[in-house]
Amino acid sequence: MGTSQNNYLHLARPLAPAAVSTTAPSTAPLSVSLLPQALFSILDHASRRPADQERVIGTLLGTRSEDGTEVHITNCYAVPHTETAEQVEVDMDYQKAMLSLHLRSTPKEVLVGWYATSGELNTFSALIQNFYGQQGEGTFPHPAVHLTVSTAPGRDVDARTYISAPIGVTAERAADSCLFIPVPHEIRYGDAEKSGLEMIASAKEREDRSLLLQTDVETLERAIEQVLEMLERVSNYVSNVLDEEAEPSSALGQFLMNTLSLAPKVDAESVERDFNNHIQDVLLVSYLANTIRTQIDLSNRLATAALTMGHAEGAPPTDAQQQDNKQQSSRGGRGGRGGGRSRGGGDRDYQRENPLGL
Amino acid sequence: MAEPNTASAPLKEVQIEALVVMRIIKHSTSAFPTPATGCLLGMDVADNIGTQLQVTNCFPFPAAAPDQPPAQQEQQYYQQPTDAATLAAGAPRAKSNVAYQSEMIKYLREVNVDAQSVGWYISTSMGNFVNQNFIENQFFYQKVTDEKTVALVFDVGRSSAGSFSLKAYRLSPSFMASYREGKFNTEAIQKSNLRYQDILVELPLQIHNSHLLTSFLHQLPQPPPTKNALDFPSSIADLTHDPNISSNPLAPNLDHLDLSIDPFMEKTCDLLLDSIEAHQTEQNNAQYYQRSLAREQTKIQAWQAKRKQENQLRGQQKQPLLDENEWTKLFKLPQEPSRLESMLVGRQVEQYARQVDGFSAVVSGKMFGVRGTMLPGDIA
Repeated sequence: MGTSQNNYLHLARPLAPAAVSTTAPSTAPLSVSLLPQALFSILDHASRRPADQERVIGTLLGTRSEDGTEVHITNCYAVPHTETAEQVEVDMDYQKAMLSLHLRSTPKEVLVGWYATSGELNTFSALIQNFYGQQGEGTFPHPAVHLTVSTAPGRDVDARTYISAPIGVTAERAADSCLFIPVPHEIRYGDAEKSGLEMIASAKEREDRSLLLQTDVETLERAIEQVLEMLERVSNYVSNVLDEEAEPSSALGQFLMNTLSLAPKVDAESVERDFNNHIQDVLLVSYLANTIRTQIDLSNRLATAALTMGHAEGAPPTDAQQQDNKQQSSRGGRGGRGGGRSRGGGDRDYQRENPLGL
Repeated sequence: MAEPNTASAPLKEVQIEALVVMRIIKHSTSAFPTPATGCLLGMDVADNIGTQLQVTNCFPFPAAAPDQPPAQQEQQYYQQPTDAATLAAGAPRAKSNVAYQSEMIKYLREVNVDAQSVGWYISTSMGNFVNQNFIENQFFYQKVTDEKTVALVFDVGRSSAGSFSLKAYRLSPSFMASYREGKFNTEAIQKSNLRYQDILVELPLQIHNSHLLTSFLHQLPQPPPTKNALDFPSSIADLTHDPNISSNPLAPNLDHLDLSIDPFMEKTCDLLLDSIEAHQTEQNNAQYYQRSLAREQTKIQAWQAKRKQENQLRGQQKQPLLDENEWTKLFKLPQEPSRLESMLVGRQVEQYARQVDGFSAVVSGKMFGVRGTMLPGDIA
């Protein structure tokens, strides 16, 4: 699932001058999908930037589909750079070193582009874009993806993605000129991420923007409360329509009917039976788990405590009775008792009090 | 300004940034089913009540190469197999990764990321994490004096089922002391009175968002409506496809209301059986030790009796007496096996039991709710 709002004009994708190895180069439009963690990382970096810099940049890592038409951005890291009115400096060594470190931990993620935390595109962007798209260390022959996330305080966070085509004015200015072509992007969420995002999103309502992690029961309670609230809104609307206070809508009515007809029609007995079975399964496993816990606790305590009493029934034999193996328990029992008696003999190593003095 | 005596203030709670949550989730789900490990960065902040550990960033560890050369490994066939899971689980303390970690921290410091390592994270499935590797890793971090580190455990299986499951643990001080000595036989445990419940201490965990992130979240997944009331949809297709009307809110996550219990139950039962087997193995070891100890003792008794007799004879014949304590050099008593593993098994089973309890609470609630709906008027 993903979200995308704007419409895009699909221009033919500019090809690099060399052929892509496996498949024929296609001019199909490129589409970019973004993981939320990359976006959060960019926002975090934007909030940590040094005070004198307006925008910060970094590298995007990700995976590409076979023919290069889909780029999936999965990770990113920041690259320090300095920008003045006349020139821009990017720390190349840092870029290379961080890239190699990341490749060690996740070898599947390759360089796919770069990001900047302000929405504007100027000559510096073009310069950096060409650097990232070049042969050798860049993303050649695939185009480098440029992601801009505008982080001006007070306005919406707006993310746009571009690829570039070389556009030359003169030969000298070719290095810092390029045409940025917007491409569609969407944010993809997986299942596990959804539950994490729910936690994060519920913290947004609170004053200090933080939330204690809750147990399952509390999360369930919240979910049920929200569903109840939604149900109430819908039922209010329906009763208003029936009282002719609100406008009816045939599409909404149809949708509601479809939804309500999904409730299964079963007779009371089978419902009771299924319900009982279900609950019994759960309670049985819960009981078993707790029983096992108690047994193991008991065995651990017996193992360490019984020896101080010096009594002949050593600890491990009684533990053995927990298992379903009767023979083992009696064998272990005899060995334990024998051990108790002979241990009383004269072992200086164990320094245990043996009041029976056997 | 933090006061200089934070050494004495114990860690009270852990605060974690949203970014770290997302990174851990992504790394864990992509590495599933092998455990994914990584390092946590952040800093500790001292309050009046105790220290709060703030985790602000994290990065994954590469799977470590085995430390020994391959030739040596063949001789140690009784050791654990060096498959991917074991390597990954041992990653935080592997030597190659210590260098990796310091390099990463050095580079991240240049872009103003907190450069203090505050722990490590590991992903697990259905709570199956209390084992030797986990303890050793956390010990590796906690053995430095005056440290503030924590282990975060993310449960991939439970989180995909709808409830987000991330927990923070530290080793308790009593366990640290025992582990330092390294002996876990019966007397040491009797002296220290250590039970398996005392091994790990759980810390409360908070999620924290930055301002920028909060404004972004308010804007997701759709821009707020420009008009007061939306127009009615013209068809059912509109309801599902028009982005203005149907949005995908981040909360509530309705996966949580799912009713299926079988996958969870099956996995939990399998894991419980594994724990029972491990416990059984430990018991067998302990019993074997008892039996061999008994045998040795009887042999020693017999030998001592013989010596006494001989010494009596020699005493009568005025010959030099033989040493009665020579049995210490002649007979070797067997080593008592360490009880650490059985304690870990106990703790693991307790973890499963707690999970199942939480799960049964939730499922009972849902089941009674569904029953009330299906059989209206019968609120029994």
